[in-house]
Amino acid sequence: MNNDGQLCFSQLEKHYRERHVLSIGRLTLVPGRIVHLTGRNGAGKTTLLKILAGLEPPDCCDVSLDHHSQPWQAVRQRLRRDMVYLHQHPYMFDDTVTDNLGYGLRVTGVHRARRRRAVAVMLERIGLEHAARRNARTLSGGEQQHLALARAWLLQPRVLLLDEPTANMDSEFRRQTWTLLQEMLNDELAIMVSSHELSKAECPNCLNLHLQDGRLNAGPPSLHLVGQGRPTAQDYLGVKP
Amino acid sequence: MDSLLQPTHEAFHLLLTGDRDLWTIIGISFRVSLKAILCATPFALLLAFLLAYVSFPGRRLVVSIFETLMALPAVVVGLLIYLLLSRSGPLGDLRLLFTQSAMVIGQIVLCFPILVAMGYAAIRAADRRAWETALTLGAGRPRAMLTLIHEVRFGLLVAVIAGFGRIVSEIGTSMMVGGNIAGHTRNIPTAIALETSKGHFAEGIALGIVLVTLAFGLNLALNLLQRREVQAT
Repeated sequence: MNNDGQLCFSQLEKHYRERHVLSIGRLTLVPGRIVHLTGRNGAGKTTLLKILAGLEPPDCCDVSLDHHSQPWQAVRQRLRRDMVYLHQHPYMFDDTVTDNLGYGLRVTGVHRARRRRAVAVMLERIGLEHAARRNARTLSGGEQQHLALARAWLLQPRVLLLDEPTANMDSEFRRQTWTLLQEMLNDELAIMVSSHELSKAECPNCLNLHLQDGRLNAGPPSLHLVGQGRPTAQDYLGVKP
Repeated sequence: MDSLLQPTHEAFHLLLTGDRDLWTIIGISFRVSLKAILCATPFALLLAFLLAYVSFPGRRLVVSIFETLMALPAVVVGLLIYLLLSRSGPLGDLRLLFTQSAMVIGQIVLCFPILVAMGYAAIRAADRRAWETALTLGAGRPRAMLTLIHEVRFGLLVAVIAGFGRIVSEIGTSMMVGGNIAGHTRNIPTAIALETSKGHFAEGIALGIVLVTLAFGLNLALNLLQRREVQAT
Protein backbone atom coordinates (compact mmCIF):
# COMPACT_ATOMS: atom_id res chain seq x y z
CA MET A 1 0.00 0.00 0.00
CA ASN A 2 2.80 2.39 -0.72
CA ASN A 3 1.62 3.29 -4.19
CA ASP A 4 2.29 6.82 -5.31
CA GLY A 5 -0.81 8.94 -5.55
CA GLN A 6 -2.64 7.31 -2.68
CA LEU A 7 -4.65 9.46 -0.31
CA CYS A 8 -4.95 8.59 3.34
CA PHE A 9 -7.45 10.11 5.78
CA SER A 10 -6.83 9.41 9.45
CA GLN A 11 -8.45 10.24 12.81
CA LEU A 12 -11.55 11.50 11.04
CA GLU A 13 -14.24 12.65 13.48
CA LYS A 14 -17.58 14.36 12.84
CA HIS A 15 -20.40 15.32 15.21
CA TYR A 16 -23.77 16.88 14.49
CA ARG A 17 -24.74 18.58 17.74
CA GLU A 18 -24.65 15.70 20.24
CA ARG A 19 -24.67 12.93 17.65
CA HIS A 20 -21.47 11.16 16.76
CA VAL A 21 -21.70 10.75 13.00
CA LEU A 22 -18.24 9.58 11.96
CA SER A 23 -15.25 8.14 13.78
CA ILE A 24 -12.81 6.66 11.30
CA GLY A 25 -9.28 5.65 12.26
CA ARG A 26 -7.91 5.41 8.76
CA LEU A 27 -9.19 5.32 5.21
CA THR A 28 -6.91 5.01 2.19
CA LEU A 29 -7.95 5.60 -1.39
CA VAL A 30 -5.79 3.82 -3.92
CA PRO A 31 -5.62 4.77 -7.61
CA GLY A 32 -7.03 2.21 -10.01
CA ARG A 33 -9.54 0.83 -7.51
CA ILE A 34 -13.25 1.22 -6.89
CA VAL A 35 -14.31 1.26 -3.26
CA HIS A 36 -17.96 0.52 -2.64
CA LEU A 37 -19.36 2.13 0.48
CA THR A 38 -22.55 0.73 1.96
CA GLY A 39 -24.59 1.71 4.98
CA ARG A 40 -28.18 2.31 5.95
CA ASN A 41 -29.92 5.65 5.42
CA GLY A 42 -28.47 8.27 7.74
CA ALA A 43 -25.32 6.25 8.42
CA GLY A 44 -23.18 9.18 7.30
CA LYS A 45 -22.19 8.06 3.78
CA THR A 46 -22.93 11.43 2.19
CA THR A 47 -21.20 13.29 5.03
CA LEU A 48 -18.11 11.12 4.63
CA LEU A 49 -17.98 11.68 0.87
CA LYS A 50 -18.39 15.45 1.29
CA ILE A 51 -15.60 15.56 3.88
CA LEU A 52 -13.31 13.63 1.55
CA ALA A 53 -14.21 16.06 -1.25
CA GLY A 54 -13.33 19.11 0.85
CA LEU A 55 -16.92 20.32 0.84
CA GLU A 56 -17.86 19.77 4.47
CA PRO A 57 -15.49 20.28 7.39
CA PRO A 58 -14.85 17.42 9.83
CA ASP A 59 -14.30 18.09 13.53
CA CYS A 60 -10.80 16.75 13.03
CA CYS A 61 -8.98 14.83 10.33
CA ASP A 62 -5.44 14.43 9.04
CA VAL A 63 -4.88 13.95 5.34
CA SER A 64 -1.82 12.30 3.90
CA LEU A 65 -1.24 13.46 0.34
CA ASP A 66 1.77 11.98 -1.39
CA HIS A 67 3.09 10.76 1.98
CA HIS A 68 2.90 14.23 3.56
CA SER A 69 0.39 14.48 6.41
CA GLN A 70 -1.47 17.74 7.08
CA PRO A 71 -4.69 18.80 8.84
CA TRP A 72 -7.82 18.68 6.65
CA GLN A 73 -8.25 22.48 6.80
CA ALA A 74 -4.77 23.01 5.36
CA VAL A 75 -5.44 20.81 2.33
CA ARG A 76 -9.09 21.70 1.76
CA GLN A 77 -8.38 23.54 -1.51
CA ARG A 78 -6.14 20.73 -2.70
CA LEU A 79 -8.89 18.19 -1.96
CA ARG A 80 -11.33 20.23 -4.03
CA ARG A 81 -8.86 20.27 -6.90
CA ASP A 82 -8.06 16.58 -6.73
CA MET A 83 -11.51 15.16 -6.06
CA VAL A 84 -14.90 15.50 -7.66
CA TYR A 85 -18.05 14.73 -5.72
CA LEU A 86 -21.29 13.82 -7.49
CA HIS A 87 -24.62 14.22 -5.72
CA GLN A 88 -27.17 11.43 -5.77
CA HIS A 89 -29.21 13.62 -8.10
CA PRO A 90 -26.49 15.56 -9.94
CA TYR A 91 -26.99 19.29 -10.21
CA MET A 92 -27.31 20.58 -13.74
CA PHE A 93 -26.60 24.27 -14.25
CA ASP A 94 -29.36 26.15 -16.06
CA ASP A 95 -27.41 25.98 -19.29
CA THR A 96 -26.84 23.80 -22.32
CA VAL A 97 -25.45 20.28 -22.17
CA THR A 98 -22.24 21.59 -23.77
CA ASP A 99 -21.82 24.38 -21.22
CA ASN A 100 -22.50 21.99 -18.34
CA LEU A 101 -19.93 19.55 -19.65
CA GLY A 102 -17.30 22.25 -20.08
CA TYR A 103 -17.99 24.04 -16.77
CA GLY A 104 -15.08 22.55 -14.84
CA LEU A 105 -12.64 23.15 -17.68
CA ARG A 106 -13.86 26.75 -18.01
CA VAL A 107 -13.49 27.65 -14.33
CA THR A 108 -10.08 26.00 -14.13
CA GLY A 109 -8.85 28.14 -17.00
CA VAL A 110 -8.53 25.61 -19.82
CA HIS A 111 -8.14 27.38 -23.16
CA ARG A 112 -11.35 27.71 -25.16
CA ALA A 113 -10.19 25.77 -28.23
CA ARG A 114 -8.89 22.90 -26.11
CA ARG A 115 -12.05 22.94 -24.06
CA ARG A 116 -14.26 22.74 -27.13
CA ARG A 117 -12.34 19.78 -28.50
CA ALA A 118 -12.47 17.93 -25.18
CA VAL A 119 -16.20 18.59 -24.78
CA ALA A 120 -16.97 17.45 -28.33
CA VAL A 121 -15.07 14.19 -27.84
CA MET A 122 -16.78 13.55 -24.50
CA LEU A 123 -20.25 14.31 -25.88
CA GLU A 124 -19.72 11.67 -28.52
CA ARG A 125 -18.35 9.25 -25.97
CA ILE A 126 -21.44 9.43 -23.77
CA GLY A 127 -23.81 9.53 -26.75
CA LEU A 128 -25.24 12.96 -26.09
CA GLU A 129 -23.95 14.81 -29.15
CA HIS A 130 -27.53 15.05 -30.45
CA ALA A 131 -28.50 16.99 -27.29
CA ALA A 132 -25.51 19.35 -27.21
CA ARG A 133 -27.56 22.57 -27.46
CA ARG A 134 -30.41 21.40 -25.22
CA ASN A 135 -30.82 22.69 -21.69
CA ALA A 136 -29.23 20.01 -19.50
CA ARG A 137 -32.25 20.03 -17.18
CA THR A 138 -34.42 18.63 -19.95
CA LEU A 139 -32.39 15.40 -20.04
CA SER A 140 -33.67 12.26 -18.34
CA GLY A 141 -32.33 11.33 -14.88
CA GLY A 142 -30.02 8.69 -16.34
CA GLU A 143 -28.70 11.03 -19.02
CA GLN A 144 -28.04 13.71 -16.40
CA GLN A 145 -26.12 11.17 -14.32
CA HIS A 146 -23.96 10.25 -17.32
CA LEU A 147 -23.45 13.92 -18.15
CA ALA A 148 -22.36 14.59 -14.56
CA LEU A 149 -19.93 11.66 -14.70
CA ALA A 150 -18.49 12.91 -17.97
CA ARG A 151 -18.25 16.46 -16.56
CA ALA A 152 -16.18 15.09 -13.70
CA TRP A 153 -14.14 12.81 -15.95
CA LEU A 154 -13.02 15.75 -18.12
CA LEU A 155 -11.26 17.23 -15.08
CA GLN A 156 -9.14 14.10 -14.66
CA PRO A 157 -9.46 14.04 -10.87
CA ARG A 158 -7.44 11.78 -8.58
CA VAL A 159 -10.58 10.62 -6.82
CA LEU A 160 -14.18 10.44 -7.94
CA LEU A 161 -16.76 10.31 -5.13
CA LEU A 162 -20.19 9.16 -6.21
CA ASP A 163 -23.20 9.35 -3.94
CA GLU A 164 -25.67 6.63 -4.89
CA PRO A 165 -25.11 7.12 -8.63
CA THR A 166 -27.48 4.38 -9.75
CA ALA A 167 -30.36 5.06 -7.35
CA ASN A 168 -33.73 5.14 -9.10
CA MET A 169 -32.20 4.05 -12.42
CA ASP A 170 -33.53 1.27 -14.57
CA SER A 171 -31.33 -1.76 -15.12
CA GLU A 172 -30.12 -0.60 -18.54
CA PHE A 173 -28.91 2.77 -17.21
CA ARG A 174 -27.35 1.03 -14.20
CA ARG A 175 -25.42 -1.25 -16.53
CA GLN A 176 -24.33 1.69 -18.70
CA THR A 177 -23.25 3.65 -15.63
CA TRP A 178 -21.10 0.84 -14.33
CA THR A 179 -19.61 0.33 -17.80
CA LEU A 180 -18.78 4.04 -17.87
CA LEU A 181 -17.19 3.85 -14.41
CA GLN A 182 -15.05 0.88 -15.49
CA GLU A 183 -13.99 2.85 -18.58
CA MET A 184 -13.04 5.83 -16.42
CA LEU A 185 -10.97 3.77 -14.04
CA ASN A 186 -7.25 3.95 -14.70
CA ASP A 187 -4.01 3.80 -12.76
CA GLU A 188 -4.34 7.41 -11.63
CA LEU A 189 -8.00 7.49 -10.57
CA ALA A 190 -9.59 6.11 -7.42
CA ILE A 191 -13.38 5.83 -7.28
CA MET A 192 -15.56 5.61 -4.20
CA VAL A 193 -19.22 4.76 -4.71
CA SER A 194 -21.87 4.78 -2.04
CA SER A 195 -25.09 2.87 -2.44
CA HIS A 196 -27.49 0.64 -0.61
CA GLU A 197 -26.99 -2.42 -2.66
CA LEU A 198 -24.51 -3.69 -5.20
CA SER A 199 -24.55 -6.84 -7.18
CA LYS A 200 -21.16 -8.40 -7.75
CA ALA A 201 -22.01 -8.70 -11.45
CA GLU A 202 -22.15 -4.92 -11.74
CA CYS A 203 -18.78 -4.33 -10.17
CA PRO A 204 -16.71 -7.51 -9.93
CA ASN A 205 -13.55 -5.66 -8.84
CA CYS A 206 -15.14 -3.40 -6.21
CA LEU A 207 -13.88 -3.48 -2.65
CA ASN A 208 -16.68 -3.25 -0.15
CA LEU A 209 -16.64 -1.11 3.00
CA HIS A 210 -19.58 -0.80 5.37
CA LEU A 211 -20.39 2.29 7.45
CA GLN A 212 -22.16 1.56 10.71
CA ASP A 213 -22.39 3.62 13.89
CA GLY A 214 -19.95 6.07 12.37
CA ARG A 215 -17.26 3.44 11.86
CA LEU A 216 -16.00 1.81 8.70
CA ASN A 217 -15.86 -1.96 8.62
CA ALA A 218 -14.95 -4.47 5.99
CA GLY A 219 -18.12 -5.37 4.09
CA PRO A 220 -19.55 -8.81 3.43
CA PRO A 221 -16.79 -11.30 2.50
CA SER A 222 -18.58 -12.16 -0.74
CA LEU A 223 -17.78 -8.68 -2.02
CA HIS A 224 -14.13 -8.57 -0.96
CA LEU A 225 -11.48 -8.55 -3.54
CA VAL A 226 -8.69 -10.80 -2.35
CA GLY A 227 -5.59 -12.39 -3.72
CA GLN A 228 -3.64 -11.51 -6.86
CA GLY A 229 -1.58 -9.04 -4.81
CA ARG A 230 -4.46 -6.58 -4.68
CA PRO A 231 -5.29 -4.63 -1.52
CA THR A 232 -7.91 -5.96 0.83
CA ALA A 233 -10.42 -4.08 2.97
CA GLN A 234 -8.00 -4.25 5.88
CA ASP A 235 -5.36 -2.44 3.82
CA TYR A 236 -7.82 0.38 3.16
CA LEU A 237 -8.80 0.69 6.78
CA GLY A 238 -5.38 0.13 8.29
CA VAL A 239 -6.53 -2.72 10.54
CA LYS A 240 -5.80 -6.39 10.69
CA PRO A 241 -8.65 -8.91 10.54
CA MET B 1 -66.10 64.32 -17.61
CA ASP B 2 -64.55 67.06 -19.72
CA SER B 3 -62.37 68.00 -16.77
CA LEU B 4 -60.67 64.61 -17.20
CA LEU B 5 -60.87 64.12 -20.98
CA GLN B 6 -59.53 67.54 -21.96
CA PRO B 7 -56.32 67.38 -19.86
CA THR B 8 -55.80 63.73 -20.86
CA HIS B 9 -56.01 64.72 -24.52
CA GLU B 10 -53.51 67.52 -23.85
CA ALA B 11 -51.31 65.10 -21.93
CA PHE B 12 -51.00 62.76 -24.92
CA HIS B 13 -50.34 65.77 -27.13
CA LEU B 14 -47.51 66.89 -24.83
CA LEU B 15 -46.00 63.39 -24.81
CA LEU B 16 -46.29 62.78 -28.53
CA THR B 17 -45.04 66.21 -29.61
CA GLY B 18 -41.92 65.76 -27.46
CA ASP B 19 -42.52 68.66 -25.06
CA ARG B 20 -39.02 69.63 -23.98
CA ASP B 21 -39.78 70.42 -20.33
CA LEU B 22 -41.75 67.21 -19.93
CA TRP B 23 -39.05 64.99 -21.41
CA THR B 24 -36.38 66.77 -19.34
CA ILE B 25 -38.29 65.78 -16.21
CA ILE B 26 -38.62 62.20 -17.45
CA GLY B 27 -34.90 62.14 -18.30
CA ILE B 28 -33.91 63.36 -14.82
CA SER B 29 -36.16 60.79 -13.19
CA PHE B 30 -34.66 57.88 -15.09
CA ARG B 31 -31.08 59.15 -14.83
CA VAL B 32 -31.25 59.52 -11.04
CA SER B 33 -33.04 56.22 -10.41
CA LEU B 34 -30.82 54.24 -12.79
CA LYS B 35 -27.69 55.64 -11.13
CA ALA B 36 -29.08 54.73 -7.71
CA ILE B 37 -29.99 51.16 -8.66
CA LEU B 38 -26.68 50.61 -10.48
CA CYS B 39 -24.68 51.87 -7.48
CA ALA B 40 -26.68 49.87 -4.93
CA THR B 41 -27.09 46.53 -6.74
CA PRO B 42 -23.51 45.09 -6.61
CA PHE B 43 -23.03 45.87 -2.92
CA ALA B 44 -26.54 44.79 -1.96
CA LEU B 45 -26.23 41.46 -3.80
CA LEU B 46 -22.81 40.82 -2.30
CA LEU B 47 -24.25 41.46 1.15
CA ALA B 48 -27.24 39.23 0.33
CA PHE B 49 -24.87 36.46 -0.69
CA LEU B 50 -22.80 36.81 2.49
CA LEU B 51 -25.94 36.74 4.62
CA ALA B 52 -27.10 33.60 2.81
CA TYR B 53 -23.81 31.70 2.88
CA VAL B 54 -21.76 32.93 5.86
CA SER B 55 -22.89 31.91 9.31
CA PHE B 56 -22.39 34.35 12.19
CA PRO B 57 -24.26 35.11 15.39
CA GLY B 58 -27.14 37.52 14.79
CA ARG B 59 -27.42 36.77 11.07
CA ARG B 60 -31.18 36.26 11.32
CA LEU B 61 -31.48 39.58 13.17
CA VAL B 62 -29.61 41.41 10.38
CA VAL B 63 -31.93 39.87 7.79
CA SER B 64 -34.97 40.90 9.86
CA ILE B 65 -33.65 44.48 10.04
CA PHE B 66 -33.31 44.65 6.25
CA GLU B 67 -36.78 43.15 5.82
CA THR B 68 -38.16 45.83 8.14
CA LEU B 69 -36.29 48.59 6.30
CA MET B 70 -38.04 47.58 3.06
CA ALA B 71 -41.06 49.47 4.37
CA LEU B 72 -39.04 52.51 5.45
CA PRO B 73 -41.08 55.66 4.62
CA ALA B 74 -39.39 57.67 1.86
CA VAL B 75 -40.06 60.90 3.71
CA VAL B 76 -38.17 59.63 6.77
CA VAL B 77 -35.19 58.73 4.58
CA GLY B 78 -35.47 62.21 3.06
CA LEU B 79 -35.43 63.79 6.49
CA LEU B 80 -32.35 61.81 7.59
CA ILE B 81 -30.42 62.57 4.40
CA TYR B 82 -31.49 66.23 4.67
CA LEU B 83 -30.15 66.46 8.23
CA LEU B 84 -26.87 64.80 7.16
CA LEU B 85 -26.37 67.00 4.09
CA SER B 86 -27.67 70.33 5.41
CA ARG B 87 -25.06 73.02 6.08
CA SER B 88 -25.05 72.36 9.80
CA GLY B 89 -25.06 68.60 9.28
CA PRO B 90 -22.00 66.30 9.48
CA LEU B 91 -21.76 66.09 5.65
CA GLY B 92 -22.71 69.72 5.00
CA ASP B 93 -19.27 70.59 3.64
CA LEU B 94 -19.91 68.34 0.65
CA ARG B 95 -22.61 70.82 -0.50
CA LEU B 96 -24.75 68.05 -1.97
CA LEU B 97 -28.14 69.19 -0.74
CA PHE B 98 -30.59 70.02 -3.57
CA THR B 99 -28.49 68.21 -6.16
CA GLN B 100 -29.12 65.07 -8.19
CA SER B 101 -26.33 63.42 -6.19
CA ALA B 102 -28.35 63.91 -2.99
CA MET B 103 -31.37 62.35 -4.73
CA VAL B 104 -29.22 59.39 -5.82
CA ILE B 105 -28.00 58.92 -2.25
CA GLY B 106 -31.55 59.01 -0.92
CA GLN B 107 -32.75 56.51 -3.50
CA ILE B 108 -29.81 54.19 -2.79
CA VAL B 109 -30.86 54.16 0.88
CA LEU B 110 -34.42 53.37 -0.18
CA CYS B 111 -33.69 50.53 -2.60
CA PHE B 112 -30.77 48.94 -0.69
CA PRO B 113 -32.92 47.03 1.86
CA ILE B 114 -35.21 45.77 -0.93
CA LEU B 115 -32.25 44.48 -2.91
CA VAL B 116 -30.67 42.83 0.15
CA ALA B 117 -33.84 41.23 1.51
CA MET B 118 -35.19 40.01 -1.83
CA GLY B 119 -31.71 39.03 -3.03
CA TYR B 120 -31.16 37.08 0.20
CA ALA B 121 -34.47 35.26 -0.27
CA ALA B 122 -33.59 34.37 -3.87
CA ILE B 123 -30.09 33.13 -2.98
CA ARG B 124 -31.35 31.16 0.05
CA ALA B 125 -33.91 29.49 -2.19
CA ALA B 126 -31.17 28.35 -4.55
CA ASP B 127 -30.37 24.67 -4.61
CA ARG B 128 -27.41 24.06 -2.26
CA ARG B 129 -26.09 21.55 -4.79
CA ALA B 130 -25.36 24.42 -7.21
CA TRP B 131 -22.78 25.86 -4.80
CA GLU B 132 -21.25 22.46 -3.99
CA THR B 133 -21.15 21.41 -7.65
CA ALA B 134 -19.36 24.62 -8.63
CA LEU B 135 -16.79 24.12 -5.85
CA THR B 136 -16.19 20.44 -6.55
CA LEU B 137 -15.72 21.18 -10.26
CA GLY B 138 -12.83 23.48 -9.43
CA ALA B 139 -14.40 26.92 -9.03
CA GLY B 140 -12.96 29.18 -6.34
CA ARG B 141 -15.40 30.85 -3.96
CA PRO B 142 -15.72 34.07 -6.03
CA ARG B 143 -16.35 32.09 -9.20
CA ALA B 144 -18.79 29.77 -7.41
CA MET B 145 -20.62 32.87 -6.16
CA LEU B 146 -20.94 34.17 -9.74
CA THR B 147 -22.24 30.76 -10.81
CA LEU B 148 -24.82 30.81 -8.04
CA ILE B 149 -25.88 34.35 -9.01
CA HIS B 150 -26.30 33.12 -12.59
CA GLU B 151 -28.45 30.24 -11.36
CA VAL B 152 -30.80 32.57 -9.44
CA ARG B 153 -30.56 35.44 -11.94
CA PHE B 154 -34.31 35.66 -12.46
CA GLY B 155 -34.98 35.97 -8.73
CA LEU B 156 -32.27 38.64 -8.45
CA LEU B 157 -33.67 40.51 -11.46
CA VAL B 158 -37.04 40.51 -9.73
CA ALA B 159 -35.34 42.17 -6.73
CA VAL B 160 -33.69 44.78 -8.98
CA ILE B 161 -36.95 45.54 -10.80
CA ALA B 162 -38.83 45.83 -7.51
CA GLY B 163 -36.13 48.17 -6.16
CA PHE B 164 -36.23 50.30 -9.29
CA GLY B 165 -40.02 50.45 -9.19
CA ARG B 166 -39.84 51.66 -5.59
CA ILE B 167 -37.39 54.53 -6.20
CA VAL B 168 -38.60 55.78 -9.57
CA SER B 169 -42.02 56.54 -8.12
CA GLU B 170 -41.04 57.83 -4.64
CA ILE B 171 -41.61 61.46 -3.85
CA GLY B 172 -40.63 62.04 -0.21
CA THR B 173 -36.86 61.73 -0.53
CA SER B 174 -36.61 63.47 -3.90
CA MET B 175 -38.69 66.40 -2.70
CA MET B 176 -36.75 66.89 0.56
CA VAL B 177 -33.18 66.45 -0.64
CA GLY B 178 -33.65 67.44 -4.29
CA GLY B 179 -35.70 70.55 -3.74
CA ASN B 180 -37.77 70.12 -6.95
CA ILE B 181 -35.60 72.57 -8.94
CA ALA B 182 -36.79 72.83 -12.56
CA GLY B 183 -34.43 71.27 -15.08
CA HIS B 184 -32.13 70.11 -12.31
CA THR B 185 -33.78 68.04 -9.59
CA ARG B 186 -37.40 67.98 -10.70
CA ASN B 187 -38.35 64.39 -11.42
CA ILE B 188 -41.68 62.75 -12.36
CA PRO B 189 -43.24 62.39 -8.87
CA THR B 190 -42.23 65.86 -7.66
CA ALA B 191 -43.35 67.41 -10.95
CA ILE B 192 -46.77 65.71 -10.74
CA ALA B 193 -47.26 67.10 -7.23
CA LEU B 194 -46.22 70.60 -8.34
CA GLU B 195 -48.24 70.73 -11.59
CA THR B 196 -51.35 69.42 -9.85
CA SER B 197 -51.05 72.06 -7.11
CA LYS B 198 -50.80 74.72 -9.85
CA GLY B 199 -53.84 73.33 -11.68
CA HIS B 200 -51.79 72.17 -14.70
CA PHE B 201 -53.45 68.80 -14.91
CA ALA B 202 -52.30 67.94 -18.44
CA GLU B 203 -48.64 67.91 -17.41
CA GLY B 204 -49.50 65.90 -14.30
CA ILE B 205 -51.50 63.35 -16.29
CA ALA B 206 -48.78 63.07 -18.96
CA LEU B 207 -46.17 62.28 -16.32
CA GLY B 208 -48.63 59.95 -14.59
CA ILE B 209 -49.06 58.07 -17.88
CA VAL B 210 -45.29 57.62 -18.06
CA LEU B 211 -45.17 56.26 -14.50
CA VAL B 212 -48.14 53.95 -15.00
CA THR B 213 -46.68 52.68 -18.30
CA LEU B 214 -43.38 52.08 -16.53
CA ALA B 215 -45.12 50.26 -13.66
CA PHE B 216 -47.01 48.11 -16.18
CA GLY B 217 -43.79 47.36 -18.08
CA LEU B 218 -41.97 46.42 -14.86
CA ASN B 219 -44.80 44.17 -13.73
CA LEU B 220 -44.90 42.52 -17.13
CA ALA B 221 -41.16 41.95 -16.93
CA LEU B 222 -41.53 40.56 -13.39
CA ASN B 223 -44.21 38.13 -14.50
CA LEU B 224 -42.21 36.95 -17.49
CA LEU B 225 -39.10 36.48 -15.34
CA GLN B 226 -40.99 34.60 -12.63
CA ARG B 227 -42.52 32.33 -15.26
CA ARG B 228 -39.07 31.74 -16.68
CA GLU B 229 -37.74 30.97 -13.20
CA VAL B 230 -40.45 28.38 -12.60
CA GLN B 231 -39.65 26.75 -15.94
CA ALA B 232 -35.93 26.70 -15.13
CA THR B 233 -36.38 24.82 -11.84
